Amino acid sequence: MSRTMSTNLTRRSVLQLGGLAGIAFAAGCSSGPPAGTATWAMWSSSAAEKKVWEDFGKYVEQQLGVKSVATLTPSSGYPTKLDLQLVSGTASLVTALNGTLIPTYAARGAHRSLDDLIAADPDFKLDDFYETSRKISGFNGKTYAIGFDVAPTVMYYNKDLLKKQGIPLPSRTEPMSWATFRDLAKQLTKPGEQYGFTCAPAIDDLVSWIYCAGGNVMSADASRSALGDPEAMEALQFVIDLFVKDKVTPPIKNLVTESSLSNFMQGNVAFMQNGPWQVVNARKAKFDWDIIPFPAGANGSTPRVSGSSFAIPSGVREGAQLDLAWKLLKTLTSTGALDIYAKAGRNNPARLSAGSAFQPPPDNLGIVQDILAGKIAGGHAFDVTTNWNQVKQLLGQDLPRTFLGQVSVPDAISGLTPRLDVLMRQHLDTTRQAAARKG
Amino acid sequence: MAISTADTAPVTTAPAPATQAPPPRWRSREALTAWLFILPSLIGFLIFTAGPVVAAGVISLLNWNLFSAPTWAGLHNFARLGPDPTFWSALGSTAYFTLVSVPLTILVSLLLALLLNQGVKRIAVFRSLLLLPYATITVAVAFVWIWLYIPHDGLVNAVLGWFGINGPAWLISDNWAMPALILMSVWKSFGFGMVVFLAGLQAIPQQLYEAGRVDGTSPWNSFRHITLPMLSPALFFVIVTSVIGSFQVFDQALIMTNGGPGTRTTTLVMYIYRTGFENYDQGYAAAQSLVLFAFIVLITAGQFLFQRRLVHYDN
Repeated sequence: MSRTMSTNLTRRSVLQLGGLAGIAFAAGCSSGPPAGTATWAMWSSSAAEKKVWEDFGKYVEQQLGVKSVATLTPSSGYPTKLDLQLVSGTASLVTALNGTLIPTYAARGAHRSLDDLIAADPDFKLDDFYETSRKISGFNGKTYAIGFDVAPTVMYYNKDLLKKQGIPLPSRTEPMSWATFRDLAKQLTKPGEQYGFTCAPAIDDLVSWIYCAGGNVMSADASRSALGDPEAMEALQFVIDLFVKDKVTPPIKNLVTESSLSNFMQGNVAFMQNGPWQVVNARKAKFDWDIIPFPAGANGSTPRVSGSSFAIPSGVREGAQLDLAWKLLKTLTSTGALDIYAKAGRNNPARLSAGSAFQPPPDNLGIVQDILAGKIAGGHAFDVTTNWNQVKQLLGQDLPRTFLGQVSVPDAISGLTPRLDVLMRQHLDTTRQAAARKG
Repeated sequence: MAISTADTAPVTTAPAPATQAPPPRWRSREALTAWLFILPSLIGFLIFTAGPVVAAGVISLLNWNLFSAPTWAGLHNFARLGPDPTFWSALGSTAYFTLVSVPLTILVSLLLALLLNQGVKRIAVFRSLLLLPYATITVAVAFVWIWLYIPHDGLVNAVLGWFGINGPAWLISDNWAMPALILMSVWKSFGFGMVVFLAGLQAIPQQLYEAGRVDGTSPWNSFRHITLPMLSPALFFVIVTSVIGSFQVFDQALIMTNGGPGTRTTTLVMYIYRTGFENYDQGYAAAQSLVLFAFIVLITAGQFLFQRRLVHYDN
């Protein structure tokens, strides 16, 4: 009798536990912020970055009077997580996008055009955003995102190292010529001990030199690769020579982990090519440093200008949800929010009205906004395709080998060009299909 | 003396009623209990393994960029594999990795297991220490090995330097990047095989060796004619799992070389991941996955065919 009872009880308990587990599982599956919550997605790879986004969250709650929920993901895993959320319909109301991926998402219909929302909102002033930021945030003549940061590539330099060598500090506003830069880099190099220059062995850094030489990765109509054009070839050869022939750069130890910032922070590298987004990290340097405009090539000093933006996924429903998404996007890119971002030193804000919050050190930080405003030197919006990941992947396979001296620049480019041309044609097809879908 | 349930079961003399036929085997209490125990695992298998395989089969017939509605592609994605040089290069790299890393891993595992089986004191300590690389996550191990492989100041080249050897720039060299990955993978995974072999070795009856010694068998012949045949089921298990694992190599290549230099270390799974999640070409990625799946099935089936001749079970 007791055995039977105990068996029954056990079965019942098992069933009850099973039921509870089922309910918990179902609740877990359906959990998510309640309607009316301001949800947004952003990358975040450090505690300092996380603090900035927490402050953004507080600002949103203060301005909109609703709860803010930010999904923060380390930058390396951000695109994959965003893709899965977009596909599964669980994406936030507003998602951050790196400028290089805006055409990729826009062309595939993952994010909606904002033109109708901007047109219907007289309070929103798109003119307050730098022109380059607006260019980066658009695709096929439409605005798909609103920028939160934008900046040109600049040249960082180790003041202590130059002073120690008795070399006069470069002009704070006038870009030096490539020839002068090369001479300086050679002068400042003591093999195995000290180096003149560092940059990443990748297309992201190479494009600045290509733009300065008057070249580009793709032709003006993006129908073919332009890396084989004389201007681009001159730029590529110049940079590769710095690595292979002049040996003014620290030896490459590993193509994956090579970091120009960590090379520069060692204190034995005179010049580093990088963006103002590294100012916050360079402030930890134990030597005196500053920034100057990028060296000028045949086309002047027109390095890559890149930035990031916020966008609204296509899955956001018309009506109350879209209204909230638009309000949230405006708040996240408002002067108040960008002040928080710039004051934390993360990067130059995309809004002109928030510019004053991006303050020194270093002393010459003001050139970032002067360059964007066209007062000194210049810049070139990062031209990308709707399949930029593929282009980058292809260039990432063979170009780094030129930095190692394993392949010559002409050989690498002639090997890459046919495959790049195929990708350019695919890009044009995708662009045409996107235009037809909307139209 | 073994006692079977038949020995202890009460003897029933009364015949069962003619109208009550025994329930079919699959409805018996034992069978239902067994199904109940299998069910959680079965549900997991259906949802997370069989389901995705079927889904991959369907997706491979579509053009799908993840965000827009998929369109029918038929067998086009499979036809794309033929002229795709990166696919064949990735397949070649994966085969190279498998052909070298699997025999090496098995050799190292077996040697260490044989060593530990020689009545070593505190065997548990050694076993645990040798199992540590296997228990450590690949990402952490990969980063340590990146440092070991640094061309000028890395430990590997420093050790080679003691012998007057000028070590290569391992991870950025056309010829040495893949061997470097293989070496790291062997170090990372020998622990698993070692534990399996050690368990197999300890299950071999000592009487067989004693009989061999009485007959004057040499240590080599004892290993060849007793150890190897008796260990063959364990060996077969380790070979099958190692080959499958090697065909799926991904994380160490992604972290240590990102598939480079060029495409020297781009493995098939890495190419599938990039096609699907960086290039948003889900249909083509699914087609590649199915081809990889077919390769693994064929190779494993081949191994099972061979095992009939080469693997010796107790019975």
